[in-house]
Amino acid sequence: MKTRSEGMKVRVLSFAVQGALAAMCVLPAMAQAADDKLAALTQPTNTIEVGVENVSQKSAKFGEYTGLRKSGGELIGNFSVSGGDAYGNGSGTGTTRWGITGSDLGTTSRAFGGSVSSQGKWDLSIGYDELRHSFSDTFQTPQQGSMGGNNFTMPTNFGNLNGAAPAARVLTAVQQGAFHTEEVGTTRKNTSFAAAFNFNPQLSLKFDYNHLDQSGAKLMGTGSQGGITLIGGSTGRAEANNVIMNPTNYKTDTLNLALNWVGDRGHLTGAYYGSIFRDGYNSLSWQGAMSTAASACVGVACFVNNTMSTAPSNNFHQLNLIGGYAFSPSTKLAGGFSYSRNTQNDSYAPTSIAQNGGALTYDMMQAGGLPRSSLDGLVVARHADLKLTNQTTKDLVLSAAYKFNERDNRTPSNTYLYMQLGNGAYTGVNTPFSNRKTQIELAGDYRLARNQNIRLAYERESIKRWCNGVADGFQCVASPSSGEDKLGLTYRAKASDSVKFNAGYAHAKRSADIDTTYLSNAGDRKLQAINTNHGVFNGGNYQGFVAYNYASRTQDILKAGVNWQASEELDVGLKGRYSKDKYDAALGVQSGDTASINLDATYTYSPRSSVSAYASMQNSERDLRDASAPVAHAGAVATTIWTNQLKEDSNAIGLTTKHTGLMGGKLELLGDLSYSLDKSHYSTQVPYLATCGAAGTLTCGDTPDIKAKLLTFKLTGTYQVDKSSKVALAYQYQKLSSEDYYYNGYQYGYTPNRVVPTNEQAPNYSVNLIGVSYIHSFK
Amino acid sequence: MVMMRKFLAACAVAGGLIWGCTAVAADASPAQGKTALTGDAACTRCHDESDKKVLTIYQTRHGVKGDSRAPGCQSCHGTSGAHLKNKQTPTDVSFGKNKSDAKAQDAACMTCHKSDKRTHWEGGQHQTNDVTCSNCHTVHAAADKVRSKKTQADVCFTCHKDQRSDSRKISHHPIGEGKVVCSDCHNPHGSAGPKLLKKNTVTETCYTCHAEKRGPFLWEHQPVTEDCSTCHNSHGSNIAPLLKSRTPFLCSECHDGAHNSKVPAAGNVAGTQGGLTAVPSENYTGRACLNCHALIHGSNNPAGALLHR
Repeated sequence: MKTRSEGMKVRVLSFAVQGALAAMCVLPAMAQAADDKLAALTQPTNTIEVGVENVSQKSAKFGEYTGLRKSGGELIGNFSVSGGDAYGNGSGTGTTRWGITGSDLGTTSRAFGGSVSSQGKWDLSIGYDELRHSFSDTFQTPQQGSMGGNNFTMPTNFGNLNGAAPAARVLTAVQQGAFHTEEVGTTRKNTSFAAAFNFNPQLSLKFDYNHLDQSGAKLMGTGSQGGITLIGGSTGRAEANNVIMNPTNYKTDTLNLALNWVGDRGHLTGAYYGSIFRDGYNSLSWQGAMSTAASACVGVACFVNNTMSTAPSNNFHQLNLIGGYAFSPSTKLAGGFSYSRNTQNDSYAPTSIAQNGGALTYDMMQAGGLPRSSLDGLVVARHADLKLTNQTTKDLVLSAAYKFNERDNRTPSNTYLYMQLGNGAYTGVNTPFSNRKTQIELAGDYRLARNQNIRLAYERESIKRWCNGVADGFQCVASPSSGEDKLGLTYRAKASDSVKFNAGYAHAKRSADIDTTYLSNAGDRKLQAINTNHGVFNGGNYQGFVAYNYASRTQDILKAGVNWQASEELDVGLKGRYSKDKYDAALGVQSGDTASINLDATYTYSPRSSVSAYASMQNSERDLRDASAPVAHAGAVATTIWTNQLKEDSNAIGLTTKHTGLMGGKLELLGDLSYSLDKSHYSTQVPYLATCGAAGTLTCGDTPDIKAKLLTFKLTGTYQVDKSSKVALAYQYQKLSSEDYYYNGYQYGYTPNRVVPTNEQAPNYSVNLIGVSYIHSFK
Repeated sequence: MVMMRKFLAACAVAGGLIWGCTAVAADASPAQGKTALTGDAACTRCHDESDKKVLTIYQTRHGVKGDSRAPGCQSCHGTSGAHLKNKQTPTDVSFGKNKSDAKAQDAACMTCHKSDKRTHWEGGQHQTNDVTCSNCHTVHAAADKVRSKKTQADVCFTCHKDQRSDSRKISHHPIGEGKVVCSDCHNPHGSAGPKLLKKNTVTETCYTCHAEKRGPFLWEHQPVTEDCSTCHNSHGSNIAPLLKSRTPFLCSECHDGAHNSKVPAAGNVAGTQGGLTAVPSENYTGRACLNCHALIHGSNNPAGALLHR
């Protein structure tokens, strides 16, 4: 026994020494491992990603916002680096943080920025964000002039397009040869700077400035001036349509300056917001080649140089005061006030058009018809809101709110006498639109039981519309006033820890005052003096017609949702919404309804893997009733009634999956598969015209579907090579199939007589995108 | 001899432990993490580096101990005495789904975040529907998804499913592409504007980016001055550009009588390819009304009352 005992002592001693030695080695290693874990959690991870990606097919639509509109290779560049003693300097008292980030650096969707702050004291940041919005890469035009410019000319050998049949539907070989493709898009470059300073915990100042530089162009229709005798013996064709690249040569400077005060019970912010918009152009000029008859004219003398206005430069200055006060922990008041001035005094666009290279000019204004050379426009907007909330008892929350918004357009109204596109004399009076909206909201939220709430809300909205000092004294709006009452009831319940349910119903009734004697600014004012029954009254619309947004209306909205957390792994949600609008108008939109159902589910089948799926369905319908001839008086039954129905259906399904920890924790896979189908369809019924469906008319029946099918498959794999290196491989397949009759009338040989073709195509693509990148991460 | 061995062994064990522990202390880097562990020791004693969802808060502004305003664990979660005694008992305030009452969760945040953008939180749509701060924000995460342009929309789409579908339609703002985010237009914390818009009105919100449509124009188009959503669906549409309907049908919803808006249109809008045997009309095909009334948002040309020029 003694021997065994001594032997055991020796072994114990041996274990102790070995244990101590092990502790000497292992504990530091454990400590280091713990440190690494701690650092990984508390220190920012910096990353730099570089790589290349390849796009298989050129497509403006695929690259609409991504910058990947061309086929071929692009660079992948992303980075995020940050630091500062706020993350630790040994004392734990540091407050400095800095960071620089960049994303999508290889594309025209690039962004980068930097920030530095001493937290609680000051912040500074700068940023740059670029976005190329690609509209089309199939648009063709015979006009010469660069995209983004404001002057487009015809090739001198183009000759005329005969605006009478067969007109532009037949182009000569020379004319066809003049057509070339333009890649149309706008580029937005935002440069920003922001700063904040905290004087003390109660008082701080914030400032941010943004400069938006926009270039490029958007496509826009133009109507040529008609009625002018052209060299060569023909006449300029009125309303001849030429789709043109309207320049977006814009610069917008936006700034905010806010002083914030926070007290124990209240807070107050006084702020200035300014937005200064500048358009680099005052007008857009283009040569039209359309005439009313065949012409032998060749050369620049054939064309009429038309002009139109571009967006006028304008200023917007706003003062804001926003605050809140807590009378008690259960009673709080919040509100704000804004006052703004929006001015515009850009010189009017030139009203002269020219022919024969400028040798002949015509002023579109009648003699003495131009009362001023610029608008001197001023809109004063005022806003006020106040909201009181109270929770005197735990089960009942009450709120009352008032809102006021006014757009007071103080722009002078004048009479402008000019020649319209058909070259007829026209009397126009500008009608500066003003409106005022007041809203009162009352709501109560009551807890029926521990997990059940009911909310009842009432809202009253009143709107006034008018024009200040209209030159000829006429009313300018269809609905000078309207009032809407809305009552809503919502029920929320938590049936169990795993099931939540909500349902709501709202009913709204809008009563509008309609003034059928109003004249819109689109009506030729001189005609009303000749015949008061002329269509210039009621905004030029037939009696009984009311625009849908001004008509009396009832609206019913029903919505419900349920969320079921079936288990720790499975979460399922179902939501639905239905709304029905009914309009009180003899003519105009009669009704509209929308419905949607969304089903979502997420299954986390292991701590490292999950799969989510969704299915969405939306559909809507809008019914319009209209008349194609005057109705004797409001309420009379028109004999030329036609109807139109819009039906829209959208269905989408999607599946996303995420797997991490594969290949010993080194591989992460993300998958995304989605499909959507959207359709819009119009159907028109013209019961009074039996021949409406004839092939030569087709004013009744159905339109082809406007359809878009989008299939997307994405797979991204990220492999952790070592502690600081990853390699990412991404593949995306996207296929868009769209059909849209919109493009039909712009195709060679299929245009209306007055339309210059563009041959622009509905977007369709099938793109494979593959990218590989290296990601270096470090602390 | 035995005593000597015992003594040596004890020294070796003690020395090893001391050296090891000293090494732990000396090498603990970053020191801030350690400091934080000490400062919030009541919690980080258990929620240590093995709990990956907790300590990342020290990468965020909430974890900057040098800022006297920065909260400790118990500032938000409460002193949580019961939880400290029994970890199965939840903290006084716990955040997330199926956790503390929504009002309790919000109150913890609103203690500090009560001004400026949160002014209209009380009584706002999110607050009254029991949406809590933690439904959208993950304050312990190094990167809060809802505050990143690339990922914010996914957070919003968790509830706003119709907007998710709209944003993927053929005509959309670059939301999925991460260039425009929901919070560019909306203030989810509450606002005085409609639909939680950041600005007081719909038009004021849209003009923030589309200042060229602000005017005031000499010739105004009334809905442009009142509500852009009369014609546009800002979240996305099957009809470009973000339109609720295609012209000429869109125009017919507000105009009848003037010019050609009174005339019914159907298959003729699809032109010859749609089966029309007559020459199609520019009034109905392509841009239809907008072929000529191109300056639909307003014109500043004295000869442009009809929005032609």
